[in-house]
Amino acid sequence: MRPLLTLLVALPLAAQVRYEDIAAGPGKNWLTYFGDYGGRRHSPLSQITPENIQYLAPKWTYHIDGSRKLEATPLVLDGVMYMTASNEVHALDARTGRRIWLYRDEQAKALKVNRGVALLGDRVFFVTGDAYLVALDRRTGGLLWSKPFADPKLGYGATLAPLALRDRVIVGVSGGDGGVRGYLDAYSAATGERLWRFYTVPGKGEPGSESWSDFPVEWAGGATWMTGTYDPDLNLLYWATGNPWPDLWGKPRRGENLYTCSVVALHPDTGKLEWHFQFTPHDTHDWDAQSIPVLVDLEYQGRPRKLLLHPNRNGFFYLLDRTNGQYLRATPFVDKLDWAKGIDDQGRPILVPGKEPTPAGTRACPSLRGASNWMSPSYNPATGLFYVPSLEQCDLYVTSEKIPAAGKGIMGGGGEPLSREPGQFFLRALDPKTGKRVWEVPMTGPGTMWSGTVSTAGSLVFYGDDDGQLVAVDARHGRQLWHYYMGQMLTASPMTFQVDGKQYVTIAAATDVFTFGLVEGR
Amino acid sequence: MISLIFRRTLLCVLSVLCGGIGLAADAGQALFATACAACHGTTGEGGRGPNIADGRLVRRLTDDEMFRSIQKGVPGTEMAAFPFPDDQIRQLVAYIRSLSAPAFETSVPGDPEAGAALFYGKAGCTECHAIAGRGGLLGPDLSNIGLQRPVRRLREALLDPSARLTDGFRPVTVTTTDRRRISGVARNYTNYSLQLLDAQGRLHLLRQTEWLAVELGRDSPMPADYARRLTGAEIDNLIAFLSRQAAARRN
Repeated sequence: MRPLLTLLVALPLAAQVRYEDIAAGPGKNWLTYFGDYGGRRHSPLSQITPENIQYLAPKWTYHIDGSRKLEATPLVLDGVMYMTASNEVHALDARTGRRIWLYRDEQAKALKVNRGVALLGDRVFFVTGDAYLVALDRRTGGLLWSKPFADPKLGYGATLAPLALRDRVIVGVSGGDGGVRGYLDAYSAATGERLWRFYTVPGKGEPGSESWSDFPVEWAGGATWMTGTYDPDLNLLYWATGNPWPDLWGKPRRGENLYTCSVVALHPDTGKLEWHFQFTPHDTHDWDAQSIPVLVDLEYQGRPRKLLLHPNRNGFFYLLDRTNGQYLRATPFVDKLDWAKGIDDQGRPILVPGKEPTPAGTRACPSLRGASNWMSPSYNPATGLFYVPSLEQCDLYVTSEKIPAAGKGIMGGGGEPLSREPGQFFLRALDPKTGKRVWEVPMTGPGTMWSGTVSTAGSLVFYGDDDGQLVAVDARHGRQLWHYYMGQMLTASPMTFQVDGKQYVTIAAATDVFTFGLVEGR
Repeated sequence: MISLIFRRTLLCVLSVLCGGIGLAADAGQALFATACAACHGTTGEGGRGPNIADGRLVRRLTDDEMFRSIQKGVPGTEMAAFPFPDDQIRQLVAYIRSLSAPAFETSVPGDPEAGAALFYGKAGCTECHAIAGRGGLLGPDLSNIGLQRPVRRLREALLDPSARLTDGFRPVTVTTTDRRRISGVARNYTNYSLQLLDAQGRLHLLRQTEWLAVELGRDSPMPADYARRLTGAEIDNLIAFLSRQAAARRN
């Protein structure tokens, strides 16, 4: 083919998303899944306040045909919102909710939930259910390239919002409940070429492999299904890893099962492991560590520290030094916690005997869903509080006592809710300096939501509750200020942005995106 | 490319069904005209019943599911049961499949390499259309068009571009309240807002209060004279090239 470059239209560049813009954190735009690289989900926007929130009203609703469980946090750049559903990206006018373009991958061979896009340069990146990383032109939704990064035939899939930093896009895999070997990949944002791969389960003979007896590494788990966080100064990537497999049958995989149920700190240039910390060694309760590793700088025990906060599915709220992975402290953030008496000086759980799953079922707490999960917490530097959706629930843990067929999504048992003990969600404000709960808001509902939080400089915390409502509370003391019922289960976290000088709040419900703003004149 | 054509031919030769499917589809066409066209339109593009020629709806059904929908009807809809003999239903299924078969999966005449030279050359397609990020922004992206359209729709779009305008690509000029005139395509337009993409790739997101007038064009901005400007062979070559554009395909 003869390239005839002279015929190409010369395009003046529209505003590009630079790495520095993402690193600067959210302002009027919201450029990465958590708003910032540190996972804090705190916006400096302050137009909506406890004083005027009574005038917060719906502005538009955008329905996504065929969706059942939207899990994405939309990104916003210069008045354009980028939202995903399964194998789809929708670009919307953020003021009106009207669609600008839709990219739909009809070739995708798996319908899975999707948590959103990454933006870099003039490109939009997202993953399909069958684990293709797709690059689109953000102006038109035109397809630039589409590259497979995992094999669905082996049980892999993908659901996460990619993380874009500098010149690369980081993606992880789903499928750890079905016997796959987790990994994290980096791809060139320009070409889609793979730059590195990090396996969360070490190969035979590699450091950490001694923690696995002889279990087949290709089934071992440690999926990487949630977006990680990044510290630009330390140039370290923090990624949480999933459960070992079979989830509820631990006998064939004797040992700690590194690096499952852990956070790993990697060099984004090379994918090299800098340090790791395992929250739940040899997990048998499906307690993925997929709560968000939130990066906060605080004075702790008399000196400034670069910290990593982690409200783990196992019920403990961990504090680590993120420069080296040193364990600092763990405190329970739920009352229903009986599998461990506490966490020792090395950060290891002090186990309570008799909490392992059995064929007849063992009652243990927290539940399989976890004390918290992938629903986003947020951190407000002004209040110094960390806002965590927390679930008080125990389960009956059942094991199959055998290794199921791999790659089919079979966990080797399960957690069953106890009929006389329904779960209950709370929004809890934790103090990272002490690990203590400062206040809480109990929720009503069935205990089945997956919604998180966003914090604002207007001294507000917005969160989706367990009853289909977007709720705003005062960030200082949790006083309930405002709510709106969307009539749908909530499975995504809210975010906030500004267009033409006006602040908006958006949340995806099960089948629709809702956007709120102050009534004109307020 | 020769090897590709050879492979397709070989596949056909190897497959006993190959000729059979073609024949079944031909036979199905006549039956479709009498039994189905009243609701689904003579070309299957819909009317009282849904469009079954443009892919999505039909592609999701297996042959067996489509067979059952015809034989037993679709409960809760106006689709009645058509209890024809089994072989006739199979002919209908084959015909309906052929209506929506994407160009990429269809054997087409023409030389894709010569088509590429036209696409990037004298046909001027990249003034408005992009493939893999190379080209203009005001026409639909064609990176994946071979999987999105059957051959007859590619041909129609080339020869009669205004026959149907793709959603989001109507030409538009807006006069704003501050007296600017902006032209481009209306990616979306309602009484209350306009989302306009201009040729420089800038989005103009306007509300009703921000414009004085919106002029929407009726015709596609695509040249309507390709039938004159290109030879029949050249059009075949262009269609062959477009039918190969399938960047989202799975291996």
